[in-house]
Amino acid sequence: MVEYSLKKFAQLLFTVFGVVTLVFFTLRFIPGDAASAMAGDAISGEALELLREQMGLNAPLLSQYLIYIKGLVTFDFGVTITTRLPVADLLLRALPVTLSIAVLTIVLTVALSIPLGTLAALMAHRGQNGLDNLITGTAMVLDLMPSFWTALVFLLIFSLTLGWFPASGTVSFDAPMDFLKRIALPVLVLSVTQMATMARITRTAVLEVLSEDYVRTARAMGWSEMRVLFRHALKNASLPIVTVIGLSFGNLLNGTVIVEFIFTIPGIGNLLINGINSRDYQMVQTLIVFYALLFVGINFITDIVYRALDPRVKF
Amino acid sequence: MTFQAEIDVPLLDVRDLRTEFGTDSGTVTAVDGVSFTVHAGERVAIVGESGSGKSAMAMSILRLLAYPGRVAGGTVLLNGRDLCALSERQLNAVRGREVGTVFQDPMSSLDPVMRISKQMIPPIMRSVGLGREKARAEAIHWLDKVGIPDAERRLEAFPFEMSGGMRQRVMIAMALSCRPKLLIADEPTTALDVTIQAQIVDVMKTLISETGTAMMFITHDLGLVARFADKVAVMYAGRIVEFGTVHDIFHKPSHPYTQSLLSTIPSTTALRHQRLPQIPGMPPDMKNPPKGCAFRDRCAAAIQTCAQDAPRLTPRGAGHVAACWQPDGLAGVPRPECSGQVRRNTNRPLRDRTMVEINRLTKQFTGSGTRLFSRKPAQVVKAVNGVTLRVQQGETLGIVGESGCGKSTVARLLLGLEEPTSGEIFIDGLAQMVFQDPSSSFNPKMRIHAIIEEPLIVKRWGDRQARAERVRSLIDQVGLEVAHLDRYPNQLSGGQRQRVAVARALALDPSVVVADEPTSALDVSVRAQVINLLADLKEDLGIAFIFISHDLLTVRYIADRIAVMYLGEVVEYGPADEVFDRPAHPYTKALIDAVPLPDPVTEAARAPIQLKGELPSPLDIPKGCAFASRCPIVTDRCRIEKPVLRQPMKTREAACHYAK
Repeated sequence: MVEYSLKKFAQLLFTVFGVVTLVFFTLRFIPGDAASAMAGDAISGEALELLREQMGLNAPLLSQYLIYIKGLVTFDFGVTITTRLPVADLLLRALPVTLSIAVLTIVLTVALSIPLGTLAALMAHRGQNGLDNLITGTAMVLDLMPSFWTALVFLLIFSLTLGWFPASGTVSFDAPMDFLKRIALPVLVLSVTQMATMARITRTAVLEVLSEDYVRTARAMGWSEMRVLFRHALKNASLPIVTVIGLSFGNLLNGTVIVEFIFTIPGIGNLLINGINSRDYQMVQTLIVFYALLFVGINFITDIVYRALDPRVKF
Repeated sequence: MTFQAEIDVPLLDVRDLRTEFGTDSGTVTAVDGVSFTVHAGERVAIVGESGSGKSAMAMSILRLLAYPGRVAGGTVLLNGRDLCALSERQLNAVRGREVGTVFQDPMSSLDPVMRISKQMIPPIMRSVGLGREKARAEAIHWLDKVGIPDAERRLEAFPFEMSGGMRQRVMIAMALSCRPKLLIADEPTTALDVTIQAQIVDVMKTLISETGTAMMFITHDLGLVARFADKVAVMYAGRIVEFGTVHDIFHKPSHPYTQSLLSTIPSTTALRHQRLPQIPGMPPDMKNPPKGCAFRDRCAAAIQTCAQDAPRLTPRGAGHVAACWQPDGLAGVPRPECSGQVRRNTNRPLRDRTMVEINRLTKQFTGSGTRLFSRKPAQVVKAVNGVTLRVQQGETLGIVGESGCGKSTVARLLLGLEEPTSGEIFIDGLAQMVFQDPSSSFNPKMRIHAIIEEPLIVKRWGDRQARAERVRSLIDQVGLEVAHLDRYPNQLSGGQRQRVAVARALALDPSVVVADEPTSALDVSVRAQVINLLADLKEDLGIAFIFISHDLLTVRYIADRIAVMYLGEVVEYGPADEVFDRPAHPYTKALIDAVPLPDPVTEAARAPIQLKGELPSPLDIPKGCAFASRCPIVTDRCRIEKPVLRQPMKTREAACHYAK
């Protein structure tokens, strides 16, 4: 187990290095740079060149790259090109907000979709198709709605019409209730899409396991339906579900960027969008590397959990 | 006095049980009014082909049917209590505790992510009422009893760490450790090798007679029935057509179906070179059950009444009932299939042309062990280990052995589907193959004519017209009709599909046909049809046949010569009759001894099973004789010195130091 984890971890370092490099160069291929974005139409010619020089944009690409790598390795993420604020500070301030949204979404999704999917599977297994069709059908419709659209609809209904949740305002951990109210809608929007996928995967996985021979064996031993379901069916079905939870976390990071923008939540998604708009290389590079680390880390955890659950997978 | 009374009340009394499956195209009555009794300590076999409703019936007793199956009527009295009237919760107290179950496929019947201990100990605690520690000791005790070596350590193993035979032992230990009064075993040995089957049957027989457990044994194998059962129920199309003691059923069968079934099994003593009697046609489609007797279309003794009224079970002797209007079934009715038509000619000299020559063939598979960050040496599986064989024109070579002995690998090498690691294969002409499972070796979206035509197209044989004619003559040759050509594989029965597989193999006029377990997926009544077809074709076409099977009776019937394989080597090779009647190698003898014969008297007189243990891993082949670890006559010499294939008799080769 430990040996496997270490091996896997070493492999992941390669992946991260690849992302780091790719990000650096793709950013430079986007037309325009931080100086021209900052200057807008007002400054041009020599003044712009001067600005570039000041911002370190005229150094050779390779040396910019090496400086960037050195910064990453020494955990010195530098200051943003445009506002001269330390990137690390901005990141640390925005991160808890985004993570709160992501974690709450996953918790809500898992708490709702796994029981619903299991229920649907149980109904389908017994041939009582009514409830199963309802759950599967709803999941399908929800799955097809793009999150930006759901976000706008929820905003319209729950904020503007019903007034249950604020659509804007400060986001601060000092007032926990207000904070929760503020992130409630983003969490709901993200959960809806996630839930649809996960409920369907759960249904398929559980339904398949329910017709396995070992489930019949457990029934033949006289175990109650609940014990059969939890000890045997769900334990085996959890293997594909764990994989999907891991994957959906990645989707979720995508989703946070969109909902943070729509609900004006000061999370790292918003930082990223602002950074891209102002061609703030330092900011964007750091954020994307950070996203990549999150992504890779979650995959790593999924792998380990999967192997812990399934004794057949060799280390 | 009370003791006597208790014996008279049956342990299990099934009355008029009906089971239905609701499908899109209507309700299928899988079990149609079945009644029988099982007394305490009795072993009752339920025999039938696939689709006869035997498993559905067994599952109905404990209401373990999966949707859309449901018990539609009848009563199941266990010690006088009606199980059909119990709630699910009440029934759960019966399941496992009073009635134990062992299922067919040991590979999938244990939870793959749970240790054996977790699956075994809680049921014992619940059923026997022991504490955890005592239950654990009890589990180890039972694992030991069913013959699992090192039981204490194996209790903490996961199912995937065990072989199929071991898992089935675990299943039996699991069921018996809860001390049920009745054990239901649904084809418990069908997925296992004949040697392992013999061991498992032995274990079950010993243990249930020790504990006094009654047993309901569902099987399609009449040989096993003869070995195992006290009483037999024969099922056909959802009904019991005959019920009686094992002697009644085997020596005085009274229903035409029972009589036909018994006559289709290749026997060891009867005229080997006579055509096998076969039951024409196939079992009825249960979606549209026929009016009257379901067997009448296949019955030579059918009369007018059979078409209108289904016969009920009527007494034929003490405790012997059968459902047939004819008092003696087929007796007295001339049987055209059986007499006459002796097409096999034993005196025909084998033509002196070698069609297949295999010299010192080896095949090794290298496992994936060398990957990034891994320094483990790659594992080498020696699947075939220096096999030398010859097949003459018009000859049939039977290759037998347990699964994992390399017989299928030899077939694949012959067809060029694998590259040999070393050695030579010469084939005079073309080799073609008939596979085991015709339902999975055909493209389900292709019509039969396209399936047969495919090899012709691949080899650019003739034009469209010529190919169509060829396909028609082929379908005729295998005994099907032109009308079958437009159907899809799933519209044919298993036997018909296997005929198509034979037609396809014959399309390019091969000189050698390799058949890998061609009858294993078929029902008993259909199997004889395919065996007869192969025997006829061999006779008519003079091609060389290589017949690979674990079914020793069939191989003996069809093959001229037999090669017995063990761990990738041929350990005995010679004429079929001689090998069977006077086996030279102890492994051959053990294999033959393990085959259950359809005769209770022979079975009762048999010596106990000699072959212990399982096939060693081909990753780790013993140094001396490969068979040393299981051989009953092993000596120190065998463990050091590897015996070579020599000729202890004029016509026979055997790889044993002590073959005479």
